[in-house]
Amino acid sequence: MTHPKRIPGSFLAALTACAALTGLSSSALACGGDWGPAMLEYEQDHRPFAVSLAEQQLEDGKLVAAAASVIRSMPHVRTLSAKKSTVVARAQRTLAVALVRSGGALSLKGQVPVYARGKWEGKSQADRQANLEWAAGALRAVSATKADDPSVKTELAEALARLESHRQEARGILEELAKKDLIASPEGYAALAELRRAAGDEPGQRAAAERCRAMAGEGAGLCGAPASAKS
Amino acid sequence: MRVTTTAVLLATVTLLAACDDKPTPTPASSPSVSAAPSGGARALTSGALPHAAAAPVALAGDAAEGQRLVEQYECSRCHQGTGQPAPKLALDCVGCHQQILAGKFPASPAKLAEWKPHVAYYQETPSLEALGRRLEPAYLVAFLQRPEDVRPHLVPSMPRLPLSAEQATHVAAYLTRGERPKAQRLDGADPAHGRALLENKSCGSCHEFSGVAPLTARPKPGVGSEEQQRAIRLAPDLRHTRDRWSPGALVEWLLEPERVKPGTLMPSHSLSPAEARDLAAYLLTTPLEPPRLKALPVRLPVLSRRVRYAEVVEQVIGVTCRHCHGDADLTLGDGGPGNTGGFGFTPRRMDLSTYERTNAGLLNAQGERESVFAKLPDGTPRLVASLIARQREEAGQVDPQVRGMPLGLPALSAEQVQLVESWVAQGRPR
Repeated sequence: MTHPKRIPGSFLAALTACAALTGLSSSALACGGDWGPAMLEYEQDHRPFAVSLAEQQLEDGKLVAAAASVIRSMPHVRTLSAKKSTVVARAQRTLAVALVRSGGALSLKGQVPVYARGKWEGKSQADRQANLEWAAGALRAVSATKADDPSVKTELAEALARLESHRQEARGILEELAKKDLIASPEGYAALAELRRAAGDEPGQRAAAERCRAMAGEGAGLCGAPASAKS
Repeated sequence: MRVTTTAVLLATVTLLAACDDKPTPTPASSPSVSAAPSGGARALTSGALPHAAAAPVALAGDAAEGQRLVEQYECSRCHQGTGQPAPKLALDCVGCHQQILAGKFPASPAKLAEWKPHVAYYQETPSLEALGRRLEPAYLVAFLQRPEDVRPHLVPSMPRLPLSAEQATHVAAYLTRGERPKAQRLDGADPAHGRALLENKSCGSCHEFSGVAPLTARPKPGVGSEEQQRAIRLAPDLRHTRDRWSPGALVEWLLEPERVKPGTLMPSHSLSPAEARDLAAYLLTTPLEPPRLKALPVRLPVLSRRVRYAEVVEQVIGVTCRHCHGDADLTLGDGGPGNTGGFGFTPRRMDLSTYERTNAGLLNAQGERESVFAKLPDGTPRLVASLIARQREEAGQVDPQVRGMPLGLPALSAEQVQLVESWVAQGRPR
């Protein structure tokens, strides 16, 4: 005669507890180690904090750190729609500016997991070009929603100035802003100086570079060497 | 900049009278209810007792239009007693500040600690309850257009809102709601006894009374219970009483302040009717020395040392400017009256939350972007001019064309203005 295998009391107790928890919970995942559904109710969306940090890093001139903060918090930031979320719009704007000022290539090694780096590192000329085009597109989208904001226009023009086919548009934006002293950053004046130089406007180039140096302060290296240093 | 309409109203009324360059004695018996701002004190000479035998004339303003304007100017964001529903917490300046300071606002401890130093102002503002039973409508009309500081121990004051004279009349008509005190004659009242009562009742422990011999009791800001401190902050300088109050309203108030305005911090001193009339007579008629206005600070030369944006933020922009010129994305779309509008101000889109946005200017009256650093005809950058305008306002030199900044808060020091001006002169280095 065989007897059914005896089930230990402790196992039964655990089973009962799991069954009770599962019944109380809206998800069967409540028992078994994954408490996600229960915890999500209390979980904070960390993205706004990450984006806020990224903006501060960008303001401090830490381009890679700013980009990394965005990418870590939104690995799919490239494909997200900014129209639906202010946080996404801010993230894309921050990443776009960091990308432009890095020439389309971000040294993310050690800052962002490999799976999330994608082509942000801009290892090939094609990747760098694609990154700059994405940045310009992202900034154009932001500019469309903040049409009267010269700080966004400055950033858009800065991005467009990096794209051969959009330099004329970039110069148009920057010249218009410069007339009213509304170029919002030294980087904007640096871009204008370069565009004027390329167009053969040397006095204009010197004036823009001078303005860039005044605004950049200790970071005046981005404005190119002063005229006297070149001669 | 944190901005409150209602509280400022009360304070402004008082101040208006005191700020007249040439106080002109006027017949005391008939308080004017003209919509035109008086712009100064109805200074009464000793012995010329106000009678106000005739009931004050009703304002010509349209109360219904006034109600609409009170909604438009969002008076209830700062003041209670407007007859409007209480605002949501996100729009409730005083309630929000109080909750932050008490640690009850729903935010992280780190954020609360960060915010606390910036919300010390606007913990309380005067209630507009029963305004019609207390203040002279003509004073209210004048105050609304040219508010001045009547509460010496309350840091904020009523900001100068973009109200026209006609609008001010409508708002005053609504806020006073047709309530008027009984007419009252002060014939035979004894101002000298009134002065003695002022001393005996220790009125000076809360109220300043500039322009007369100092009272023995003095307000002690920062000392005593929280309620005492609130009372000191909200207590008007009594020199403005004659501009704000009719004799009838004042006597009623002195006799039973709680009945006139339930919940008031003004205590009842169990005065007899005769004592109340004596006290009113003193407050309304004792000669006043000319008001002592703040001296206009000297404009300091620009600094030769380098000034960075971070220093300007730490000393100026981050201290006051950003509350009214903030980042709308981080505040549910409300970037403050100087950015996204509010308190009757149209959106000027002036955002001082970052270096780049500070350089991005504002929308002018024509809706076009212009730099806040554009030079005015005298060479002064516009931003600096508005800071100096606030200093001038405190010195009694109001420029109708330039609204002084920070709005409703004390002017910057000469050194702070110098810092901003130096930064601008150096090309606004980041």
